[in-house]
This record gives sequence, structure tokens and C-alpha cells, in this order.
Amino acid sequence: MLEGHQSIFFDPGHCIGCVACTLGCPTKAVRVRGGRAHVKPELCIDCGACIHACRYNAAKARTSSPADLKKFKVAVAIPSLTMYAQFGRDVHPAQVLRALKSIGFDSVYDMSWMCEMVAGATDAHLSEGKGPWPKISVTCPAIVRFVQIRYPDLLANLIPVETARELSAKVLRRKLSAEHKCDPGEIGIFFITPCTAIMSSVVNPVGLEQSHLDGAFSIAELYGPLLKAIKQGGPAEGDEEVSPAGLLWAMSGGEIAGMRNTNTMTVRGVSDVQFVLDRIEAGKYSGVDFIEAYICPDGCVSGGLTVEGRYAAQRSIQAIAKRLGGQAHVKEEKVRSLLREHFFDIEEEIRARAIKPIAQDLREAIARNRERAALLKQLPRKNCAACGAPDCGTLADDVLRGEASLEDCVFVRIDRLEKEAISRKKEVP
Amino acid sequence: MDEVLYAEKFTILGNDFEHGGDVAARVKAILKQLGLGGDVIRRLSIANFEAEMNVVMYADEGELELQVTPDAVRIVLADRGQGIPDIELAMQEGWSTATPEMRQRGFGAGLGLPNIKRNTDELEITSTPGAGTTLKYVVHFNG
Repeated sequence: MLEGHQSIFFDPGHCIGCVACTLGCPTKAVRVRGGRAHVKPELCIDCGACIHACRYNAAKARTSSPADLKKFKVAVAIPSLTMYAQFGRDVHPAQVLRALKSIGFDSVYDMSWMCEMVAGATDAHLSEGKGPWPKISVTCPAIVRFVQIRYPDLLANLIPVETARELSAKVLRRKLSAEHKCDPGEIGIFFITPCTAIMSSVVNPVGLEQSHLDGAFSIAELYGPLLKAIKQGGPAEGDEEVSPAGLLWAMSGGEIAGMRNTNTMTVRGVSDVQFVLDRIEAGKYSGVDFIEAYICPDGCVSGGLTVEGRYAAQRSIQAIAKRLGGQAHVKEEKVRSLLREHFFDIEEEIRARAIKPIAQDLREAIARNRERAALLKQLPRKNCAACGAPDCGTLADDVLRGEASLEDCVFVRIDRLEKEAISRKKEVP
Repeated sequence: MDEVLYAEKFTILGNDFEHGGDVAARVKAILKQLGLGGDVIRRLSIANFEAEMNVVMYADEGELELQVTPDAVRIVLADRGQGIPDIELAMQEGWSTATPEMRQRGFGAGLGLPNIKRNTDELEITSTPGAGTTLKYVVHFNG
């Protein structure tokens, strides 16, 4: 089983204490202290930017181990749709599913049709007309955590429709425990993930008390064995099981492409997401119904734990979807009846993730703000990150919180040493 | 007059569309740092943005002063510019003197002043045509 709340960790054996991860982190959650990188868990959104930035293979993703499969009577794989895009456009999803079975999973599950159903549920929720607007997709767990940390006022904008991966696992556990006549706990359901954010959402889910998934493997770690199994497995059969509309969820724009509502937007990449969320907070875009948002630049195909490059992956997904044809896989009546059962509802309210405030009240906050401004004046404002914080302002914050000292700044230190040297010179007659 | 715990002044340049909105963003960052409630920040951000854009579109130069008191945020924005000849008319939704160029940029819907009024607890406008306009508005923490 996965341990700890974060799926990202730094391997002290590999970390050389450079500051690439610190500079790459969009939420300023990484510090280099004592020559090693550390994550501040309260600020981490598990986006994986540090893994991308690290050149020494020190930032790593924590995943399930193959031994975990043996803990269950039936081990099931739910591959992310991005998995289908890893082997070129001529490999069919059915071949990938069969390969997963041959490398050790007792059962596999395609979740493309569940994505198509969630698109229908999203449409239904939007048509109920309950603000605040716009509603924001919860598919990308890093977006959900970003809102929890930075934009608590937008929590009510998150759409309360559960993700396709959690719903898939929920359905599957029920179905398989009946089929195998065993306890639901004896079914082990593993997601094959393109990113660290989903990995963390299995251990530390938002919007439900416990994930319906039992663990997760990365696409990258299964890639080699799968490629071999696909080559040995022969041609495809049974592709009709896959929903072309659902398949497009692997890339940005895919979620809204399958919806009826056209008053929608897609935003991707952390800086663009920040730009849009800032504006929503300021009351803009309230005329938009739904915003599909991803922390990664092209949606899930650009996740940090994939192998195929995101452009090639998008080409494959589009080719496969086109080959499958355009018709809907899911009957509308099915979605309507599940809606009546509240099948799609998020189980728990999504709450803000409290970050320790820097002050207890306004007076103290203003005093702290002045102290901060005074500290910042003493710093060079070169934002070199040599101190281990990503910029001078963050070092000032850390000093205020008692987590760093002003002398962590090399410029401040040199300054002091120079002054001391000059005063020593003066003392010598 | 309430005790002012924190005050800072910002300059806004007329016709500087490139930086239009920057002052509102800086004020928002300060209010966030001070740990003020989300609703207070949201309302002030909307009002400040509208007020700032009014200076950018219609005045030569303006100065926005942020004042934080124990129970409210007060904004005083004084500009040097053409002024508002008929304040009552300008307060009506849909009334606008925006040029086609401004409208092309998405402004000039005639919602500026009404939007400030809607998002603040107190609003006072004084204007001398040909000289300039002063806006004073307040958002209370428990308003």
C-alpha cells in the first residue's frame, strides 16, 4: 500500500541540493535546506512539476508495489485513457487491456464509457442552474488541491460530480465481488496513472472519505512489460467496448467535447489556470457554465509519469477515436436513472486546506507585513533561490515563520563578512 | 474617523491600457497578505478594477489610496481629468460615454460606477467637470 499523504518524495541519495525543483514548483512548496530538497506538505498539490524539473532523478513518485497485487483475491487494473495513447495509433485499446491481463492483473476495466456518462452527469448538473458560476471540473486532482490551497472562495464552484476513475472502481468492486462470490475487500483495484496527482488522490482523496481504488501504478513503470506483451499478443479484438467520446478525455478539451453544453472553456497549464482562477475570483467569467481545467499543459497525455510525448499521444488518441466512429456508447436513459440514484454525487464536501495564518488578527498581520517589507529591503531581490527558497519574498516569509534565517541569503552573508573584514582592518594599527 | 492601521498610495496613468488592472491586483495581494476575508477581497477587487479602469479610460492621472482600519477597508481615488458632468446619470446602468475604441476592448457597457456601488457599503462621488473626480468607497468587514 502507498504510505504517507504525498506521492512525491525526494531521494536523499540522489538529491544534490540544486534548486531546480524549488524554482519549478508552482505553489512554492519546495525548500532546499541542509543541502537537500524538502516538500512542505501543506502547500504541495502533487502536480509533479518538481519531478519534471529534477535532473538527478531525486524527485520521485511513490507507487504501489507488485507485491500489493498478491494481497487480494482478485487484482484489477483500471488504466488511465492516456495508457491507450502510449503505443502509437495502430495499437488498439483492446490490445492494451489484454496486455495488462498478461502481465499479472486478473481483470481489466476500460473506463472510457464511464467518462462519457460523467459528461452526461455534468450536463445534467449544469442544467439544474445552481450557481456560483462557472462550475469547475474536478477531474484533475491537482486543480482541486490548488483551489483548496489558493482559492478557497472558489470551492463552491467545483462541480460536485465524482470522477470517472472513482466511479469506475465503485461499480467494479460491486460487480466483481458478486461475480467471484467474495468480500468486496478481497478485490484489489489499481489505477494505472499518468501523473502524481492521481496517485496522491488514491491515498489522500478529496471529496470522499476513502478512495474506491486500492493503489496505483505509473504508466511509465508498466510501459516496458506492456510493450513486450503487446508485441507478443497479436492483433486486436473487441474494440467496440471502448467509447470514442470517453477516449478524448485523455487530452485537454476532451471533457467538454462530449458535452451538450457549449458554454464552456478549457484551460490548461499552471500559469493559465492561475490566470483564469484569479479572474473567476474577481467575478469574471460568471457567464460561463463550465470550465475544464488541467494543471498539465495538454491534459492527462502530458502527465509526468507517461512515456509517449504529449504531441504524439494526442495524435494517437485522435486517430483511435476516429477509427471507433462517432456514435454515443452510453444510453441517455441509463445516465438519467443513475442520476436519480445519486450515483454521480460527490460523497463529501470539499473543504479548504488550512494553511497556518501568519498572524492571529489584523493588527498583528499588518505588523507582520511591515516586518516582511523591512526584511525584503535587506534582501537583494535577485530571486536566485541560492538560499533554498524560490524567491526573496518567500525567504522573508520563512524568516517570519521562524523556518529560516536572513543569513541563509548568500548576499546578506557576504555583506556581513565584508563589513566585518573592513572593521577588522580598521582595528589593526 | 477610525484609526488607520495601514495605508499605501498607488499611481494610475490615464490611457495606460497595458497596465490597467495592475493596481487592483497589487491591492488584492496586500489584502490577501493581511488575511482579510475572501468576500471583502472579492468585492474590493471588483470595485478597484472598475475604478482603476475609469481612470485609465477617462482621466490623465489618478492616485488610489488604500486605508485599512480595524473594521473596514477605505479607498480614496482622486483623478485629474475630464470629470463627470452628471453623476446621477453616470450611476445609471447602461449609461456610458465610452468611445468605440474602448468598447472594442470590452469596456463601456455602462456598468462601472453601478458595479462599484453594488460591491461596496458606502460610496461618495465628487466631481468637477474639467478638473477631476474623487471616489471614496468603503467595504466593512462585517458588512
